[in-house]
Amino acid sequence: MNQPESTGAPDAPHAVAEINLAIVSAEALLKACYWFSRDFTCEIRNRNEHVADVILTPRSAASASELAVAKDAFTTSAMDFALREKIEAKTSGIRDLLLAKAFSESGVLEDQPEGVFSDTVEEMKPDGMFKILSNPQH
Amino acid sequence: MARVFYPLERFAPAPAGFHLLPFRFTRLHGKELLVNEAGEFLFVPTGTVQSLTDEHLDTNTELYRDLKAKHFVYDDSSSPLLDILATKVRTKFDHMSGGTKLHIFVVTLRCEHSCDYCQVSRQTATRGEFDMSTATADRAIDMMMDSPAHAVTLEIQGGEPLLAFDVIQYIIPRAKKLAFEKGKDLDIVVCTNLACVTDDILKYFRDEGVRVSTSLDGPAFLHNKNRPRPGHNSYEKAIEGIERSRAMLGMESVAALMTTTAASLDYAAEIVDEYVRREFHSIFLRPISPYGFAIKTHHRTGYEMERFLDFYKQGLAHILKVNRGGYRIAEVYTQILLAKILTPHGTRYVDMQSPAGEAWSVLVYNYDGDVYASDESRMLAEMSDWTFRLGNVHKDTRRTLFTGEPALQMFHASCNQSLAGCSDCAFQSYCAADPVYHHATQGDMYGHRPTSGFCARNMGVIKGLFSIIEENDRETMRILWSWVTGETAIKEVVECV
Amino acid sequence: MRLTTMGIAGNFDTSIVGILATESLPPEQRSPTIRLLAPNETSTDESLSGYRAVLCHDALKSVPSVPYVHRLRESDHLKDGDIVVLEGNTGLVRSLYRPYELHHHLFVTERCNSNCLMCSQPPKDRDDVEALTERNLELINLIAPHPEYLTITGGEPTLLGDHLFKLISQLKLTMPETELHILTNGRTFAWPEYARRFAELGHPKISLGVPLYADFAGAHDHVVQARGAFDQTVAGLHQAARNGIRVEVRVVLHKLTIPRLTKLVDYIYHNLTFAEHVALMGLEYTGYTPRNIEELWIDPYDYQDELEEAVEYLAVRNMTVSIYNHQLCVLKPSLWRYARKSISDWKTLYLPECEQCSALPACGGLFQWAVKKHSDHIHAISLPQPSVAETCS
Repeated sequence: MNQPESTGAPDAPHAVAEINLAIVSAEALLKACYWFSRDFTCEIRNRNEHVADVILTPRSAASASELAVAKDAFTTSAMDFALREKIEAKTSGIRDLLLAKAFSESGVLEDQPEGVFSDTVEEMKPDGMFKILSNPQH
Repeated sequence: MARVFYPLERFAPAPAGFHLLPFRFTRLHGKELLVNEAGEFLFVPTGTVQSLTDEHLDTNTELYRDLKAKHFVYDDSSSPLLDILATKVRTKFDHMSGGTKLHIFVVTLRCEHSCDYCQVSRQTATRGEFDMSTATADRAIDMMMDSPAHAVTLEIQGGEPLLAFDVIQYIIPRAKKLAFEKGKDLDIVVCTNLACVTDDILKYFRDEGVRVSTSLDGPAFLHNKNRPRPGHNSYEKAIEGIERSRAMLGMESVAALMTTTAASLDYAAEIVDEYVRREFHSIFLRPISPYGFAIKTHHRTGYEMERFLDFYKQGLAHILKVNRGGYRIAEVYTQILLAKILTPHGTRYVDMQSPAGEAWSVLVYNYDGDVYASDESRMLAEMSDWTFRLGNVHKDTRRTLFTGEPALQMFHASCNQSLAGCSDCAFQSYCAADPVYHHATQGDMYGHRPTSGFCARNMGVIKGLFSIIEENDRETMRILWSWVTGETAIKEVVECV
Repeated sequence: MRLTTMGIAGNFDTSIVGILATESLPPEQRSPTIRLLAPNETSTDESLSGYRAVLCHDALKSVPSVPYVHRLRESDHLKDGDIVVLEGNTGLVRSLYRPYELHHHLFVTERCNSNCLMCSQPPKDRDDVEALTERNLELINLIAPHPEYLTITGGEPTLLGDHLFKLISQLKLTMPETELHILTNGRTFAWPEYARRFAELGHPKISLGVPLYADFAGAHDHVVQARGAFDQTVAGLHQAARNGIRVEVRVVLHKLTIPRLTKLVDYIYHNLTFAEHVALMGLEYTGYTPRNIEELWIDPYDYQDELEEAVEYLAVRNMTVSIYNHQLCVLKPSLWRYARKSISDWKTLYLPECEQCSALPACGGLFQWAVKKHSDHIHAISLPQPSVAETCS
């Protein structure tokens, strides 16, 4: 284990959040640090390739219980940003399509719908309405 | 052919798998709050987001059906109806169509008040030097009517615009004529402290169909403290002005706005009671904007955003209590946010839009012809910061205003969809971007969210509103909905000091 | 009130549409009319020429030269001015239009592409479109005076294709002031071309009444017994709105729609915001309903909480909502102001309990078939008259 350089008073009150790097990416971790940066300095120390410790040093006085709360909140926040990354990965394609449709001048509601609407009588007609509507002549 | 009936399973088989539609989430009150791309929300049990992401959610549950109906998931058993969702997303941005609708004309910088929070330099009362010239007025009117919007609002401000009444009388008929020629609807409002209003001025406003918006910061001691003037009688003048205006123009044509200062923060209920006493049916608990003299005199008017949030919550609680007692009065900031949260629509209020309302929704024409992206942008110019000066009516066209460097730089930072901190935020659909605010308070148009007063304020209010929504008290929700639908009158919100 | 009767037909084997005349008319006024002879009325051949046909309750003494139907089973439901159709093949006499009624319908087909569990007009897979359109075009020409409202119904009217457009165009030509309401499942409107062509008819006063039974596809499709119906209906409503066609959403209230009713109106509010009206309708014990009653029946009295929640949901959001086909005694008083007298005249019935009820004038009553199945809680209300009227308005 590497001995990190000390970055501040080694015995200032602080919390340490343990982060599983297999679940939380660097990006997600940075986002959590971003939100906590108002009240804490966040120092990330990679313990190894799977685990990082994030040292949260409060900018103003904080009690032990407040530090415990902050540690839990930080861990939850990091996990939530990891979740958001997954959601984005799964939905970015359809989101782009959605926004393209939303802001196009036309193209929304121009697609033919799925399935059939005809009843059995209509189905038996070779030139029935459904067939004509599905192949509009423009 | 005999027709047969089929059971539910044939039409609603529990699907084997499902797909996610885009959404954002946060944790609130022991639950998870999901918000879809069209700004529709759903409270779900903690752990739902994880099971959605892992695709472990049981599809044979009411929860799954709720998620599907609210466009958080879709599956192969039916269409995702993407076009419908796209239409809903578009509806949220309907306010943008048609171009700039609010056009603020600063007809003079002269004013006889010396309010601490004033966003305009105090000038002496000599006419001319700081008044809008006829040439500038002509060009500004042309620029306004060049907007593609079918309906435009002409808002006349100052300083104290009534000190330049002749300029107002020059502008109004010309604006009306051009509006008529172009087939546009024109709404005219004058923002004035009413201290020097006369019957002749009021008759003119009545005949021209002009609305009036004035300042009422609260009961006398507070109003006078906030708004010093020679004679120390701003409150008495304001009340007298309100009564005279109402008599001449009608109740619906006179609106009042308050400004919150450090002095106001302990008197939420008293301020509301003053508005009730004066028979107003809307009140806007808005925070002081950190511009102009406000930044210079910060030690007198500055306060933590937390204190404002307390003030707002106390104010809202008191307003709801007043409503329950039978007097209808709406709180405008709440109404704006609730409209975004609860209805399919966005908002026309320029300070709570994304893309930000600066330039897209509002343009300010200063007395000297300079065009600014917002009132606050003009305030910065008073302190020699011209970041948001888009151009000048004598040199620019609407096209060059919108394609010039200041505008383009600002547009880059105008969408909260792409700002750090906002892009993931569950409240993105309800919140806004404000590059001018962040530039003024943090030195950076993009802003630093964790220390942003804009973020703290909006997030605090939105979270509080979701508490109320979740509680779902029947009477409270009925009152709030009456604000949203406009049954309890909300006048078109104007930005006046 | 009776709609059909039978007799013996002669001199024709087609369909004849005409306006009933109970008194002799001068020859120049006879051409759109059908002469209805009262019992015991005698006549000669000469006095009957010029009429489209003759109807006689009794047996005619001599065979007329014009088409006729005599020996009617019933005739006291037939009034002067009624428009009827006579079938030469079967001797059927069907009443199509009664000027004195409040509600008027144009029935255009029995075909339907859905098969709703509670359908009050069970579909038939027989192509009746040509024949009914011909009949209805004639009917449109004869209707007098022009009504304020006319409902076009079936089956599924959009299955008529161009014939529906023909009917609407004819209505636009002859009675442009009459407001048309088309009861349709809306599915055909999902095809953009159809919605466009419908809008191009340019009828100034037309709206669609479209049912929606759930906020998710599986449940709706089950109620209407057609896969893909929900998707098509919602897309169809959007296409209609996009083309400027006014729409109303209808919900029939029964055991399958009550559990998620508030969620359904929430879905309507968010996704079908353009709907100008939401109609919440009581179940009719007719058509398919008796067959499926186990699956469908819930006493209206027992779903008042859900109904109130859904109505309030829409009302605070300023959406117009009406309750149809519910008796005032089973509704919560807070809902009386939304209840409409919606039952077509020929279907209305009041029970013995109703005779003593102070709310009778304001109440829509029950359907005739409710004799067989209705709420266990029908009872006379004894409130002073003014407060009933007040609560209902």
